[in-house]
Amino acid sequence: MSFVLHGIGVSGGIAIGRAQLVSHATLEVAHYSISPDQVPAEIERLTQAIRTVQKELESLHGTMTAGDAPAEFGAFLDVHWMILTDPTLHEAPKRTIAEQLCNAEWALTQQLGVLVEQFDAIEDPYLRERKADVVHVVERVLKVLMGKPGRLRPAQDHTILVAHDLSPADVIQFKNQPFAAFLTDLGGVTSHTAIVARSLNVPAVVAMHNARALIRENELLIVDGGRNVVIVNPDRSVLAEYRLRQEELELELAKLKRLRTTPATTLDGCRIELMANIELPEDLEPAIENGASGVGLFRTEFLFLNRDGLPSEDEQFEAYRTVAAGMKGKPVTIRTFDLGADKHKEGLDGLTRVAPNPALGLRAVRFCLAEPRLFLTQLRAILRASAHGKVKILLPMLSSVGEIEQALALIAQAKESLREQKVEFDAGIEVGGMIEIPAAVLSIGAFTQRLDFLSIGTNDLIQYTLAVDRADDAVSQLYDALHPAVVKLIALGIATATRAGVPIAVCGEMAGDVRFTRLLLGMGLLDFSMHPAHLLSVKQRVLKSDMRSAKALVARMRSIDEPAKLSALLDKLNA
Amino acid sequence: MQTRQVELTNRYGLHARACAKIVQVASQFRCSISLVCKGRRASARSMLAVMLLAASVGATIKVETSGPDEAEAMKAMVQLIADQFGEEQ
Repeated sequence: MSFVLHGIGVSGGIAIGRAQLVSHATLEVAHYSISPDQVPAEIERLTQAIRTVQKELESLHGTMTAGDAPAEFGAFLDVHWMILTDPTLHEAPKRTIAEQLCNAEWALTQQLGVLVEQFDAIEDPYLRERKADVVHVVERVLKVLMGKPGRLRPAQDHTILVAHDLSPADVIQFKNQPFAAFLTDLGGVTSHTAIVARSLNVPAVVAMHNARALIRENELLIVDGGRNVVIVNPDRSVLAEYRLRQEELELELAKLKRLRTTPATTLDGCRIELMANIELPEDLEPAIENGASGVGLFRTEFLFLNRDGLPSEDEQFEAYRTVAAGMKGKPVTIRTFDLGADKHKEGLDGLTRVAPNPALGLRAVRFCLAEPRLFLTQLRAILRASAHGKVKILLPMLSSVGEIEQALALIAQAKESLREQKVEFDAGIEVGGMIEIPAAVLSIGAFTQRLDFLSIGTNDLIQYTLAVDRADDAVSQLYDALHPAVVKLIALGIATATRAGVPIAVCGEMAGDVRFTRLLLGMGLLDFSMHPAHLLSVKQRVLKSDMRSAKALVARMRSIDEPAKLSALLDKLNA
Repeated sequence: MQTRQVELTNRYGLHARACAKIVQVASQFRCSISLVCKGRRASARSMLAVMLLAASVGATIKVETSGPDEAEAMKAMVQLIADQFGEEQ
């Protein structure tokens, strides 16, 4: 039976494909059948996943013994390594795959169930609790398996991921999978699912509420991200109409590709810098492909994904150097760790704590200043990379001048330690700050005297200005980039920094949304940084915009308090 | 085949790290090594099986070794347990 579901389309476009149900909780894994000839490949997938985790544990062990981690930690890794390599753990699942013709995740979960039951029967409470180690090890293997879902269908069939919710870690793992679209029950416009879907240029509809319960595995779906709908089991005429619309959209995309090497200049001759936001060193390729004039924001939290320990200085240096050298002299702005709040990584042993209000808690620069050793390690790695390209340091979530001074002191300390060791770095490296708290906008004058450049993170600025949690579907409709207070703050920030002669960029979601390109140009913005997938559409917009007339209209918009009037003027600006 | 009964005197019995040490020591020998406790038998080379013996402090474990280096293996196993797995008390 065909039916339609509604949600919030957070990434446009049309996808037609079959549903694959995925659960965020690793223990609730998908169960699907395989054909007898797929058995050897499925067993191999399990073997490879176990080997991958084995290598992870071994390399973790290596970094532990090199550093000064407590001996306990190494012993724990030994325990996990032994559980992992115990044939008891994998022989039974391999038999299950062959006998029941099921996927590796399912077979492994069955075996975990058997083991957990045996542990639960242990009388001694202390010994019984060790089942946690077994569960932990199995979850690691499951994560690897789910990061590389088995090919249960031919490759030409597009797969649409249907999940209750996706964590940032899940989303990063799915990045390398050719999913045609994402559907989630939870989430809002700026949830991680949304950000990644836009970055991959695939449609996504979130806040579907009960899609995961209503849609069945392998059902045919049409996802229309632009119109907020999902059509389940469409009939033939609907399917034909959507296939046609899909083709038209692809044609438009092909046209955009031709703008790659065109300089981004407005009609009245203003040169605009369009830079890329990247999350992983591998994102460099799409950035270059889409003609980025630099990296305006290199997020570094990926270094913490899928691991328990802290990334070493050498490992970080390697990642930063790859990007710095890859951009061949174009600027690469590396943002120091923005850990905490929704980005907080599980498994940061010893550092994890539950804050009563994580978004207002110990995160980003606050977290780094509270953990100076972690911060110094990162600063040294960034400084070392600065010998290999045009690197800049960006400090996230500044709220006061005091934090800037503390961070600058630590940067000076990191420089000094490198000098003593005669390690090369760029002594004149520029240090900038993120403007993402209303307090930062209002103190921007003092910031400009201490920093070389600034960058407005609109996602957090909107969240903190409006007191709306962007990940909370119950209030996400209140999250509004065009709220008069938000418009005033961004305009004030850009104007104050420009007057002080300090370059300012916008690197939040607004920078990559063509609806806001002219608004930002009209505020005097010259530097945009966005996901590589939006570079060309924003460039197309810049090429068709006139800076002077945008400024004239935006000057009027700055003093407006009525949302309706503001949005009417935006339409006029975009016309 | 050699057989010996040993009492567990360390603080927590066969907890995870003690199990790990048993597996580590057992893997240095070629003979088969089994531990029997409360009617349950485990290969000393299987981490999960040793953990599932659930031997608490005060429990008696029967160690069985059988193969070319069974005498050395027995000596090492008994020593490890008698030394309370090298734990500090």
